[in-house]
Amino acid sequence: MLARLSSATKRYGKTEGLRDVSLEFPLGEVVGVLGLNGSGKSTLLKLVAGLLFPTSGQVTVFGGSPRRNRAKVVYLGENDALYPWMTPDDAERFMGGLFDDFDPVRYDGLLEALEVPRRKTKRMSKGERGRLRLAMALARNAQLFLLDEPLAGIDLLSREKILQSIVREWHTRETILLTTHEVAEAEGLFERVVYLREGRLAADVNAEELRAENKSVIQTFREVLG
Amino acid sequence: MKRLKTLLWVEYRRSRVWAAALLGSIVFWWWGLLQVRSLELINQLEIRAILLLIAASVGAAVLVLMIGRIRSETKDGTHQVLLMTPASGYAHVVARFGFTVSVAIAYYIGLMLMAWWAIGQAGIPLVAGDALALTLGMPLYAIATFLAPVLAWTVLLMVYISAHRVSGPNWIPGTVMVLATPLVFEKIGTGIYRILYRLPGWHVFEQLQLTLSGQYPDDSMGPALIMPQEPVWIMLLVCGVMLALAGRIWQEVEG
Repeated sequence: MLARLSSATKRYGKTEGLRDVSLEFPLGEVVGVLGLNGSGKSTLLKLVAGLLFPTSGQVTVFGGSPRRNRAKVVYLGENDALYPWMTPDDAERFMGGLFDDFDPVRYDGLLEALEVPRRKTKRMSKGERGRLRLAMALARNAQLFLLDEPLAGIDLLSREKILQSIVREWHTRETILLTTHEVAEAEGLFERVVYLREGRLAADVNAEELRAENKSVIQTFREVLG
Repeated sequence: MKRLKTLLWVEYRRSRVWAAALLGSIVFWWWGLLQVRSLELINQLEIRAILLLIAASVGAAVLVLMIGRIRSETKDGTHQVLLMTPASGYAHVVARFGFTVSVAIAYYIGLMLMAWWAIGQAGIPLVAGDALALTLGMPLYAIATFLAPVLAWTVLLMVYISAHRVSGPNWIPGTVMVLATPLVFEKIGTGIYRILYRLPGWHVFEQLQLTLSGQYPDDSMGPALIMPQEPVWIMLLVCGVMLALAGRIWQEVEG
């Protein structure tokens, strides 16, 4: 099991970000983590990434503490977190210097496929920056990828390129947890969907089974969360 | 080592505009010193000393601001990226501190060179060998005993404040830490004073002699520039403790 949450609860002061959630993520799945704003999607990913500690309950990644294993996890946060001076070449130096599992050949291929311009991020559009961040993340040979809203605020064509890259780069030896509000566009990716509502686990369904029942992920989204 | 080198490079890229502006300001201060020519020699030295003191203070303020820019990183998310790297919190803190201290050394050596020039202009003779030793010795002494602890404290302060960002209001620890700052430095200063002056004739280490022995036949400047070593070691130890604490907090901080 790559990651496990056992009755995990996270409080921010008086606010509850996640409440008593138990989930397991084995190797080789693309999991959609869906929910309305404030449902706990980002909190769940941050707990698995080791960026947050659970207030109660337990989170394990690779059988140990997420904090100790965070170098093995790829986390793409929802913030537009790139230094303004950074060019794609700087990003390669940054990633190559800090992460042993960074693959520069894969990175160059991703830059090309995602059509990332070779200029400073401060001169890039939001979509271009999003594509660069995704190239940096997917160029790592890791087993667990946590992608928090990689499609947020990005134009349609960039979203398509990002989704195509995720499909192309995904291997069965990897697990991807992806949160998004663009449910209709991303639903073809998912093998499993976790629905969160107000910090609680509302449903955990197999996307293939849904499709076999002639139901779509977005339909179930409306039924479960509507 | 590869990670530390990369973090130093990130720090250089992140702060190079600040560093270049600070080092470039040496030209401005030099220009300022050159303007003081029409006065009597002794007045020239006084005004130039005041100018250099202002330059030293401005430099310290800029360096503190440069190393303390952690809050903007937590806001824009780059701090999260750094937290997710395999480099330890200690490496992040050491890279930040190391780069800023390197800039400080370059800046204060520049100021010191100007100081010796000003002293020379006032008619006070300096042997070339002494000037070189003092140019290196004085800034390093000042950085070790004053600036480095201030920078280490700033890093600790900012890391501690940002640690409370996620789960609670960070203005409370921020206010407490800022208010505690003068108290902490007063306690350290009192401690050093007690070691040095309450125990007359007793020293843990040999006194640090910044002048080269025998270079001043009349011994006119020598005694004034002999400094105790204890403050250097005490403050470097204090720096190490503060950086270790900051690194430990960085390891545990939520992002």
